[in-house]
Amino acid sequence: MSFSAGDGPAEPDATITVIVGATVPTGFEHTAAEEVSEKIGVEARISKDRGRIYFPITTDKLSQVHHLRSVDNLFVVVEEYDHYQFKDSKEETLQELQQLAAKLPWTNALEVWKLNRTLKKKKGHRKVTNGTRGKPGKETVDLAAADSEQQEPPQPSSAAEAQTQAESTPDMETSKQESEEAAPEEAAPEEAAPEEAAPEEAAPEAKVIKFRVTCNRAGDKHSFSSNEAARDFGGAVQEFFQWKADMTKFDIEVLLNIHNEEVVIGIALTEESLHRRNISHFGPTTLRSTLCYGMLRLCKPQAADIILDPMCGTGAIPLEGAIEFHNSFYIAGDNNDMAVNRTVNNICHIQKRKAEKSSASGLPIDTVQWDLCNLPMRSSSVDIIITDMPFGKRMGSRKKNWDLYPSCLREMARVCRPGSGKAVVLTQDKKCFSKAISRMGGLWRKLLTVWVNVGGLHAGVYLLKRTGAVFGQTPEDVHESLGTVHAQQEKTDNREPSQSTSGV
Amino acid sequence: MKLLTHNMLTSHVKGITKGYPLLIKATEVKVNEVAFNPQFVSRMIPKLEWHALVQAADELGHRQDLPGDLVPNYEENEEFLKKVHRVLLEVEVIEGCLQCPESGREFPISRGIPNMLLNEDEV
Repeated sequence: MSFSAGDGPAEPDATITVIVGATVPTGFEHTAAEEVSEKIGVEARISKDRGRIYFPITTDKLSQVHHLRSVDNLFVVVEEYDHYQFKDSKEETLQELQQLAAKLPWTNALEVWKLNRTLKKKKGHRKVTNGTRGKPGKETVDLAAADSEQQEPPQPSSAAEAQTQAESTPDMETSKQESEEAAPEEAAPEEAAPEEAAPEEAAPEAKVIKFRVTCNRAGDKHSFSSNEAARDFGGAVQEFFQWKADMTKFDIEVLLNIHNEEVVIGIALTEESLHRRNISHFGPTTLRSTLCYGMLRLCKPQAADIILDPMCGTGAIPLEGAIEFHNSFYIAGDNNDMAVNRTVNNICHIQKRKAEKSSASGLPIDTVQWDLCNLPMRSSSVDIIITDMPFGKRMGSRKKNWDLYPSCLREMARVCRPGSGKAVVLTQDKKCFSKAISRMGGLWRKLLTVWVNVGGLHAGVYLLKRTGAVFGQTPEDVHESLGTVHAQQEKTDNREPSQSTSGV
Repeated sequence: MKLLTHNMLTSHVKGITKGYPLLIKATEVKVNEVAFNPQFVSRMIPKLEWHALVQAADELGHRQDLPGDLVPNYEENEEFLKKVHRVLLEVEVIEGCLQCPESGREFPISRGIPNMLLNEDEV
C-alpha cells in the first residue's frame, strides 16, 4: 500500500497493529505501564532506555493514546533493533544507516501517522490556515499545512522547556538535526520508484511533505555523533521519499533513538509535548502534568479524600488531581500572592474549557493563601498531602530548607489523619529531607521512594504514611530521640539515584 | 471559597482556643454547577462538622431546608445528598471575609481566595 492519496485507501476498515512508544517521566515507567493497562487493556514493556515504554495497539483504538495522562510524548515504531551491530568505522556506520532508510518497513507506521493526524484535526481547536487545493483524493496536499494543534499557549512554555532540554549527561546527546546541510541537489529525478514513495509529489500543484529527523544518542561506544547520524539518515530518507527537509515547519518528525545497542526508528505522534497540558499561567518552577499525575497515582486518591497541597505554586498538582482523580477534594495553598493568583487563573482556564462541553464545569478544588508552617486547618482533617517542596537550586535555598523541612513535616503531620493519612513529597534536597524524616519516626514512616528527573535535576518522590500516633504525644515532641530511627533510615538513604534522561 | 473548605478552616492565631468555626461575612457569592457524585457526598459527611456547615450555609442565605441535625440513613437518601452536595461544592464566596469567633480578627477573601497569613505577633 503506497503512501499516496491518489489511489484511495485499499482497505479503509482494516485495522493494523503497531507498536507505540511513549516517553514518560523517568521513575514513573511502571505507573505509566499501569495506566496503559487500565485504559487501553494491553501490557506495556519498559525500555532499558529509561523514561520509555512500548505497547502494541490496533489502529481502531489509536485515539485512546491521547487520553493517557502519564505520557509526555508518543511515537509509532517503524523498526526496533535490540542488538544493532554498528560497524567499526564512522564512515561505514553512517553509510549503513543511510542504506537502512530504504529497507525499513515504513508503511504501517506512516498509515498510523496519517490516521493520527486526522484524529488531531477532529479534536483540534485551531483551523488549518493556509489554502489547500482540497481536491478529493489529493490528501497529500493538505498535509503540508502547518497543522498546529495547541493544547495551551506555547509562549510561556519555551522558557521552561529550554531548561528541561538543556540538561544532558555527558555521554548523551540530542540533536534536532535534519538533512538540510547535506541535502542532495534539489529535484531528485524519478528513480525506479520504491513502493513507499509518493509519485504524486511530482504533480505540479502538489505540496510536498516536509520532515525532519531527530536523533537521540546515548552510549560511549559509538563512533559517530547524533548530528551526523541525523544528517546522514535524514538525507537518505529525503532521497527515498522525495520529502522536503524543514527544521521548524515539518509535517513528519522521524525519530532515530540510539541507546547503546538498542536502535529504534519511529515517527512522532505528538507535536508538542503533552506535559504542560493543564497550565496556561506558568510560574518559575511549574511541574509538568505527567509528573503530577505520576505522584497522584502513587497515593491512590479515594472518593471523598481531602487532599492538600500546602506549597502549590501554580497549582499543577492539585489541578491535575481535580481533573483526573475528581472524586476527591483538593485544597491548594501557598503563601505567595502571585502563586495563588496563578493557581486560580489556571483553575478558571480549565473550567472555561470544561464549560464548552458541559454545564457542570465546576472542579472540586479551592485555593487558600497561607503559611505552611501554620496551616489554618483543623487537626487530623486531611487525608493526603501531596506537594513539590522547594529545591535549594531553583527556589528557596539549601540553608532555609534545613529549618523549613522539619517544621513543615510537623505541621503536615498535625493536619493529616493519623493511621490512614499519606503524604507524597517531591524534593531535590534529598539529604535534608531524609534527615528531617528520620527525626519524625513517631509521626511519619517512609514507604517508598521514586527517583525522578525534574528539569535535569535529580529528585526524589517520597511516599510517606502517617503513623497512628496522636500529634503532640510522640517522643519527638517531648525530646529529640534520634537513636533507633536513624538506624532504620540508613538502608534507604544509601540508595543512589540513577542517571536519567529527560525524555525526547 | 467553597463551604467544604470553610468547614476545615480555623483561626490559628497564637493564644486563640476557640478559632472555629470562622464566621463568614460575604459581599459576593456565586453558585457554580459541579457534577454530583453521591458516593463523594455520603463519604464526606462523617468528615464534616455538620453544625458548622449548616451555620455557614445559613450565613450566606443558602441554607434552604438543610436540617440542623443529620438525618438517619442519609447514605440512601439521594435528595438529601443532593442538598448537601450543593452547599458543600456549588456555593462559593468570592468576596468578603472570615472572622475569628473569639477575637474578631478578620481574614479577607478576594477572588475566592481566603488570605490566612498571620502577622508576626500572631505567630
